[in-house]
Amino acid sequence: MNTATLTTFIVYFIALIAFGIFFYRNTDTLSDYILGGRNLTSGVAALSAGASDMSGWLLLGLPGAVYAFGLNQIWIAVGLSIGAYLNWQFVARKLRKYTEVAQDSITLPDYLEYRFQDKSRMLRVISALVILIFFAVYTASGLVAGATLFESAFDMDRNLALWTGTIIIVAYTFLGGFLAVSWTDFFQGILMFIALIAAPLVIIVTYMSWDEIISTASAIDPAYIDVFSGMTFIGIISLLAWGLGYFGQPHILARFMAIRSEKDVPKAKLIGMTWMVFALYGSIFVGFTGIAFFADAPLAAGDQEIVFLELTQVLFNPWIAGVVLAAILSAVMSTVDSQLLVCSSAIAEDFYKGFLKPNAPEKELVWIGRFAVIGVAIVALLLAANPDNLVLELVAYAWAGFGAAFGPVIILSLFWKRMTRNGAMAGIITGAVTVLVWENLGLMMPGVEHEIITLYSIIPGFVLATLAVILFSKTGKATKQGVLDQHDVYLK
Amino acid sequence: MEETSLSFASWFWLFVPMLTVVVLSIVTFFYETKGDNE
Repeated sequence: MNTATLTTFIVYFIALIAFGIFFYRNTDTLSDYILGGRNLTSGVAALSAGASDMSGWLLLGLPGAVYAFGLNQIWIAVGLSIGAYLNWQFVARKLRKYTEVAQDSITLPDYLEYRFQDKSRMLRVISALVILIFFAVYTASGLVAGATLFESAFDMDRNLALWTGTIIIVAYTFLGGFLAVSWTDFFQGILMFIALIAAPLVIIVTYMSWDEIISTASAIDPAYIDVFSGMTFIGIISLLAWGLGYFGQPHILARFMAIRSEKDVPKAKLIGMTWMVFALYGSIFVGFTGIAFFADAPLAAGDQEIVFLELTQVLFNPWIAGVVLAAILSAVMSTVDSQLLVCSSAIAEDFYKGFLKPNAPEKELVWIGRFAVIGVAIVALLLAANPDNLVLELVAYAWAGFGAAFGPVIILSLFWKRMTRNGAMAGIITGAVTVLVWENLGLMMPGVEHEIITLYSIIPGFVLATLAVILFSKTGKATKQGVLDQHDVYLK
Repeated sequence: MEETSLSFASWFWLFVPMLTVVVLSIVTFFYETKGDNE
């Protein structure tokens, strides 16, 4: 690797660790560690929600897919944009407001317990369990993606790459908690954005016109420029349905809860959505202009996902290439760190404080949270070390799991006064189980090859969980008076 | 056959839904913050 590229890259990571140490000194309570004391400005909340969610997929997966198959890959981006917008529009502000009314709750399990005034703690335990299970898988997939990048960028041994990446991420999540994570996500969000927009623009301005790009791509294969080529109805619906996942992702909802005031939500939404849509366009056009740019010497199948890296090395000078490489790695890391943090809060807040030691002092909880980060990272590392575990399948699994388990429950809890604790529990369990079963339908019913099996599991999961919430809320015990009164306070 | 432009359907789906989301964010931003500074 070029010295300039390497230097930029190393400076970037030293800055990351410095951030962790700086915020370590400003973290006294568990609320500080997990939510930054609910003090995020709109810009930081918006970009960190974006960066922590989009991750390596935006910089590797999507450009790689468009490069390999053409514009028919846009559907997932369309679905995600719509889902993210609806989440900002209808959930963010209400959730921020309700979590304050509901005993100032700072995590998803917290919110669910106080929203339904559940004295049994079952709701807290079940939701914390769902979080731990799906995030261990999710985090593992991020570590694998990070390792693949370290491996190819530095010609490192795979295991060494896995350990190096994990240690850097854990170090600053361990030290700085939410503040460090949100601020670094914020910078990484800006970095990703600039890099993604710049690459296709440079091609169009200095190398070939938009018309030339289209005609070159269509000369290679007309399917490249057709958004419908090879797509079935169920295929398109499945890709659009990724957008449903937003309503239940704990690490994204955590950003909504941490925003400084509900009045900051509209601005955060504007920043967040503009960032997201243009970053997605950047990502799509990186792949699309790449088709024409590399027309004479196409990338090999294994290198398609690094089309963005390949482009930056040709288009920019080595210093900038170093920044872009850092941006890609940090994108992967930003997802992993926020997931580690949510797991850490599930352990410290929901199991330790909620169950084992209700009166634990704040300092102690911060330390439990920190050690939980290490514990979860070790489990994820073990999962990641298994070469049979594929990144994208794991991500799709966890995304659907969270979307179906928490999505309908969160939405209905904000809009439906008479929803009950049993309804919430039934929704979480039904959503999670439906996804687990649907993802394995092919295995359970060998020989059955109906197209419906290929439908993304989040759709049946979301629908059945919604029905379960309604059914159990309507038929079980009536909603407690305290819950109704609290809802009235929230509506004021 | 070599094409020199995208079909209408491809243009539509590539640009309309995602840009609509940005426009909606701008419009709702002004609507929702209208009374905040008064």
